[in-house]
Amino acid sequence: MGPGRTWTAGVLGGVLAAALIGSAPRLPRAGADALPAHPAPPAQDGLVVQLCDGATSVTVPGVQAGRPMPPDQAVAVTRELMARWQRAHPGQRWETAEAAAPAATAAPGQRGASQQGDTYASFTERDRRIWQAETDAFVAEGNRIFHSAELLGGTIGVSCDMCHPNAANTHPETYPKYQVQLHRVALLRDMINWCIENPVKGRTLSSDDPKLRALEAYILAQRRGVPLAYGKH
Amino acid sequence: MAASRTLAAFVVGTILAAPSAKATTPPPRPGPLAEPQSSNQPGFPAQLAQWLLPQDQPESPTMVALGKALFFDPRLSVDDTVACASCHDPEKGFTDQLPTSMGVHASFGKRNAPTVLNAMFNIAQFWDGRRPTLEDQARDPILNPIEMGMPDEPAVVRKLSAIPEYAAGFRDVFGKPPNYDDLVRAIAAYERTQSAFDAPFDRFMAGDDAALTPQQKAGWALFNGKGRCMSCHGWNPTRPLFTDDRFHNIGVSAHKSDFVPLARQALDVLAQGGSPRQIDQLAIQTDLSELGRFLVTKQPHDIGAFRTMGLRNLFVTQPYFHDGSQATIWDTLDHYNKGGVLNPFLDGGIVPLGLSEQEEDDLAAFLLALTSQRYLSRAEEEYARQFKISRTTRPQRDVEAAAGLRGRNGPGFAGPFGDIGPSMNEMAQNPALLGGRAFSGGQ
Amino acid sequence: MAARHKSVETKYMEARDTVLRALRHCDRRTFLKLSTATMGAVLAKGLVPPHSFQLVEVAHAGENAQTGTALAAGEIGHRPFTFAYISDAHLYERTLNQRFVRAIVKAVDDVNALDPQPDFVLFGGDLAQLGRPGELELGRQILSGLKAPVKMMVGEHDWYLDLGAKWQELFGPPTYSFDWKGCHVVVLQSVYEKDFWTERKLTPEQRMLTVAGLDNGVQSRFEVGEEQREWLKRDLAHVPATTPILVFSHSPLYKYYRPWNFWTEDADEVQAILRPYRKVTVIHGHTHQMLFNQIGNISFYGMLSTAWPWPYAPQGLPKLTVQMNRADPFDQFDGCGDGRMTVRADGLVDTIYSLWDRNPVTIRADYLVSHGKVDRPPAPQFASY
Repeated sequence: MGPGRTWTAGVLGGVLAAALIGSAPRLPRAGADALPAHPAPPAQDGLVVQLCDGATSVTVPGVQAGRPMPPDQAVAVTRELMARWQRAHPGQRWETAEAAAPAATAAPGQRGASQQGDTYASFTERDRRIWQAETDAFVAEGNRIFHSAELLGGTIGVSCDMCHPNAANTHPETYPKYQVQLHRVALLRDMINWCIENPVKGRTLSSDDPKLRALEAYILAQRRGVPLAYGKH
Repeated sequence: MAASRTLAAFVVGTILAAPSAKATTPPPRPGPLAEPQSSNQPGFPAQLAQWLLPQDQPESPTMVALGKALFFDPRLSVDDTVACASCHDPEKGFTDQLPTSMGVHASFGKRNAPTVLNAMFNIAQFWDGRRPTLEDQARDPILNPIEMGMPDEPAVVRKLSAIPEYAAGFRDVFGKPPNYDDLVRAIAAYERTQSAFDAPFDRFMAGDDAALTPQQKAGWALFNGKGRCMSCHGWNPTRPLFTDDRFHNIGVSAHKSDFVPLARQALDVLAQGGSPRQIDQLAIQTDLSELGRFLVTKQPHDIGAFRTMGLRNLFVTQPYFHDGSQATIWDTLDHYNKGGVLNPFLDGGIVPLGLSEQEEDDLAAFLLALTSQRYLSRAEEEYARQFKISRTTRPQRDVEAAAGLRGRNGPGFAGPFGDIGPSMNEMAQNPALLGGRAFSGGQ
Repeated sequence: MAARHKSVETKYMEARDTVLRALRHCDRRTFLKLSTATMGAVLAKGLVPPHSFQLVEVAHAGENAQTGTALAAGEIGHRPFTFAYISDAHLYERTLNQRFVRAIVKAVDDVNALDPQPDFVLFGGDLAQLGRPGELELGRQILSGLKAPVKMMVGEHDWYLDLGAKWQELFGPPTYSFDWKGCHVVVLQSVYEKDFWTERKLTPEQRMLTVAGLDNGVQSRFEVGEEQREWLKRDLAHVPATTPILVFSHSPLYKYYRPWNFWTEDADEVQAILRPYRKVTVIHGHTHQMLFNQIGNISFYGMLSTAWPWPYAPQGLPKLTVQMNRADPFDQFDGCGDGRMTVRADGLVDTIYSLWDRNPVTIRADYLVSHGKVDRPPAPQFASY
């Protein structure tokens, strides 16, 4: 109940989190990220509310730690925090600046310095967005093929999602493993091809076929966060 | 003089009047093919063999020799005419090359004699897996009335004990007088020496790319692909036996009998818990034999199911399937190609394959490559013989069913393939063609 | 009038009876040796071997109507009976795909082989895959080969191409009820969805394809709907609380996994309508797996599909469900099948999951009603994950 109680800007955090979650249902990630902790400056009276960049803070007079603020006041506080941050970072946007900043758990004195260069060590948020968009498009292509008997080359109207909705029961994290249908150790792509040949009745794909690679990408993307367990049956 | 001529005439007359030549044909004598085989063959599964060796009572060469003597000895049968080797003749791939086997009194059973070659690696013995080990398997034919016909185990033991070589032999090997358990142990010890690898295919998998002809390689690709053979006749370096150790109804029983009413009869019988010997008799002697694994497990999905047999040395172990009903490999391929024979218990994995004539020839050529070196010349002769027959006589062939053109579920339909995919052997890189590297990660 | 469909399997079954009488295949000595011994045993055990080779313990369901397990003191039981089901056939037209045709024909032959015949056969929905008239016609033609009377139930794959027009033309109204041997049976259309297609300007084909995809998340959640719930209330108004109720529904009428529509949005309201009744069993389709649950007074049994198995959902699986073994895609029948329900004298329902190419699994109402304490079904060797 001391004066230095730290709050995080929950509203902003929620907005940011919502922006990052994709549309396809995913399994909850193991070990969800804990929110970073920042030491807050001590307050004379009232409550110090700090933004999660660890630097910007607002003192709200007349509020005790542990007592909730009325909603209007809370919104006003968060607006003030963002305004202060914006004044300190003119011309920048919160999402890109924060994502480009080094890990927030760094000690305050070290913040702001990061290893950069103009050639190989130079990664900006723009790069990350390109990578993410490209990856998402690749996975989306796999999603399309996965759900279409025609794109799979199947001849009987059977597509992968009929037995594997959301790629359920594909367990790509268990490859390489002994695949009973092939009686040998297989990789995910071998089993994809086997399924195309047998239940789907299509023409098998060569290992450098973009369709096979996209299918693999989609299936792996559905199991993000699941620990690898090769050989598990 | 006249008396001896009369006697000779009587003997000749008896022989000529005998119901079958087999009954008076002596059982085979052990030749070079009966010798114990070394485990130092390409393709031999050393690790699997390690797991399968019995832990107690190590098998000495003397035990093997005793077992071999017993294996070839017709005195184990009630009238001294039938030995194990009569139906499991080394010269004939340890089978008798008959559709079903003949026992004492020229009586024929219902099942084709499986080979002893590699039998030690079987998950269970007999077509229906009713006996788990080689020892247990050896117990049954000796006592079966239409196989070797001995009345009971004590009778067998008495007979053996009266033979001085066996009385001494059992004492040397086991330290005890002859008894039934040791008898089967000795026979099994001999059978365990009959491994058969060292085939062109094994050498191909070990890295010799020239060991298979191009046609055989095409067959191997089909085996893994369009033929769908691999999923039941599985091969990998650890278990190179071309079997999945399972039981499937592939529709062979449905060729002839109405085996649905037979299953009902069997249920009545087995509701009271059939003894192993009763099941053995049903399996060999009655039409209930067609029920296969069902006699053992009494589960409906096992009706008409038989063990997936290995595919080595097929061209010395003809004819094929549990009833020996198919004379040539092409007949078996036609059977699979048309999707087996429909019956209510047909395994769902059996579907029309849509193989062309060339593709069937490629598969048959590949199967020849599974012949062990010591049987190769015999097998090549048999292959040529079967090939010739297959050009004109194909009783199982049903092109329309194989292509899915004639509806298997009623009137036909005007579709291209139905449930059969397009020909799909134009893969950029068929792992089947890479040799062993694709299977063992590039060793 | 379309010709009655008869497959090879049906012809086998028809020939069996004459052969059985002749018994020409069993050698006389063997038969005599075997049959006398077994006759007594069979009779003594009270076992009736039906041609489907599953011993139905008739004694359990029928010997004394007043001593069934769940009858209250003085409560009179009703006549027990069995019915079979075939569900989720997902037929394509023949020219495209024979596989699902083969499967539903196998189910029809399974049911026709039962001896004694079930009282009726429930078709559990999703007869067609894409709602096409040709698919529905094909299904009707095949199901007309069943000897027992058929009760039809609609699924979403039958409905969303033309919003049920062809289905109703072929099979009548999707919602109805009837009484059977002291039970009240209700058949629902539980796959209504709030309109998601008009604003997106989808054609009927696009709407059907959207509904056909389990995991696209575009379609609405299944519901019974207020109008039908009102109908249900009226229908049950005169049914005494002691009458066993059977509810046939395509969606589960509880909430298992929302993203795949293993879900009924107004399940709570429907369960509330059913709460006054002591014995309620819901039999549902759509989930294509061995699935069972108990919520309050209601037992739930999911039916197997003939066409393909679904994996178990990542979350929401009822605790009482013991999974079926993971299916092997080499065998089109693995994880599929049909089944039977036995409505006992006490009004509760046991079921046999006749899994094809596997040992059948029996689930007894006692397992559900005791919340898993008795009669636990066998565990799978490999669950799906």
